[in-house]
Amino acid sequence: MALIAVIDDDPDILEASTLILEANGYEVITANNPTTGFEIIKEKTPDLIILDVMMDEPDDGFFLAQKLKKEESKIPILMYTSISKTIGMQFGANELVPVDDFVEKPISSEELIQKVKNLLN
Amino acid sequence: MDNHYPKILIIDDERGLRLGTERLLTRKGYSVATAENGKNGITKGLEQDFDLVLIDLKMPDIDGLEVLREIKTSKPSTVCFIATAYASYDTAIEATRLGAFNYILKPFTPEELIHQIEKGYRQRKLLLEAETLRQEREKNLLEIAHEKSRLNTIIESISSGVLLINKDGKVVYFNRACLNKLHFEKLDIEDYILDKLPSEISELVQKLFSDGSTQKSYTTEVEVLEDGELIIEATCSPVPHPDGSFAGVVVVLKNITGLKKIEQLKSQFVSMVAHELKTPLAAVLGYLDILVDKSIEIPQEKRIEYLSRSDIRLKGSLELVNDLLDISRMEMNTKQREIADVVLVDIVNQALELQELEIRKKNIIVEKSIPIDLPSLHIDRDEAIKIINNLVSNAVKYNKEDGKIIINASSDNNNIKITIEDTGIGLNEKDLEKLFHQFFRAKNKYTRAISGTGLGLSIVKRLVEANHGKINVESVFSEGTKFTIHFPFK
Repeated sequence: MALIAVIDDDPDILEASTLILEANGYEVITANNPTTGFEIIKEKTPDLIILDVMMDEPDDGFFLAQKLKKEESKIPILMYTSISKTIGMQFGANELVPVDDFVEKPISSEELIQKVKNLLN
Repeated sequence: MDNHYPKILIIDDERGLRLGTERLLTRKGYSVATAENGKNGITKGLEQDFDLVLIDLKMPDIDGLEVLREIKTSKPSTVCFIATAYASYDTAIEATRLGAFNYILKPFTPEELIHQIEKGYRQRKLLLEAETLRQEREKNLLEIAHEKSRLNTIIESISSGVLLINKDGKVVYFNRACLNKLHFEKLDIEDYILDKLPSEISELVQKLFSDGSTQKSYTTEVEVLEDGELIIEATCSPVPHPDGSFAGVVVVLKNITGLKKIEQLKSQFVSMVAHELKTPLAAVLGYLDILVDKSIEIPQEKRIEYLSRSDIRLKGSLELVNDLLDISRMEMNTKQREIADVVLVDIVNQALELQELEIRKKNIIVEKSIPIDLPSLHIDRDEAIKIINNLVSNAVKYNKEDGKIIINASSDNNNIKITIEDTGIGLNEKDLEKLFHQFFRAKNKYTRAISGTGLGLSIVKRLVEANHGKINVESVFSEGTKFTIHFPFK
């Protein structure tokens, strides 16, 4: 059974994501800030990380992703954010943002599960 | 002869000659004046503008040559003759050197005199014409010089940089502002500039060179100094020759660093708003997804909890939209401030009433001390209500169970001072600095469960300042926060 770490500062989103993922047969660990997030990743070595961009600081998610990349972590990262592309801030999976997939909030449960399945395969 | 009588002055000490000449010339249509000695001759000759002057060389008081010199010095275009019975080569030369037109030998016949005088008058007219032309030319030159210096002054004074480049890519003209816009130490006329200009600008200049059109202009933005320290807008326009052919390019440079900074702040604000609006929607949609998904089993009390969490998040969004509208109204300045006498204790009581339910739930004690004789505030009533409501609701929201809210007011000669203090979660020093910033919310173990837009205090600060007041905050983390407002006494 795959273990997924969800790192987001919004308690409701943590709760809802956990339920959806658990209902689909995944094990879930959560953290509501990048520091605890990093700790649980080190401790539990999950199979996938779902990471929010904006937490205490607007780019906490990016920093955590970069930190993991530097440590040559092989764990796939699904990054999600509520910042829209239409306002001129375009993010994507590239060198600067070393993530494996990128989605915009809100995301439907089917879509989330689909993305998770893709990344775990 | 001309239609105006040529004016002639005869200076001679011989009375007979004076009268005879006068009679002769008057008959011929001249307007004649006479002087019987050198002294009078000079006086008259300088007083009026004579066309011609006939000067006797030998006079008892002043020598004819001296008279000639005096008159020619101040009236250079008056034509003068020297008349003498004792002509010598030397005096002739001296007379000519001093500006005499001719030398008339005495005695002379009427015909000889008239002939000389007519010749002299033609010369006089030429001299006058030349003088008029000279004056006109001088005036034009002065005007051109003046116009040029005025244009220079104008171009030097404008804050935009102006740079004129000829077809060979050389600098033809530039003003001082041009140097600081391009961050150049110096620039010289005739310098080849195309390889010195930022590439964005020289590309446009070269495009205009190859177009050869005198119609199109191009504009570009250039980051002259890194990190957005200096950003300019350059507009390159062709300059035509008078015949319409292509002469060169004028580049006008404007500093748009400030505008760019504002633009950046604006887009930051927009992205913050987008984030703040989308996050609660994402949370609610997440809950709804679970609630409608029949494959997920959820106990009844959890269902109710998710619904009530959704309710709280949506209300939070609504609050945010209202705060945003408040900010937008303040920024557009559409609000007409209606200054009224506002009784503080009334609006404090109203604010407490609104919070009554929450106050009871948390079992908070409110201590209020507002003197009965406190002067009324002289500010906009709606805004005063908004300020007090916001601070009171914060004092409740961020308070602890069984906490306290202390509201005090006092006045001195200059100010009315209002303090609203709570025994709540408080703020650490780092967060305290950012407290009045838009979208700032302290994040710690206490605030996680409290909803807020991050806009309330930034609105309060603006409203207080719009009403000429001042707001300060003191706080001790996990012990409480105290807001102090000073409004000037009217």
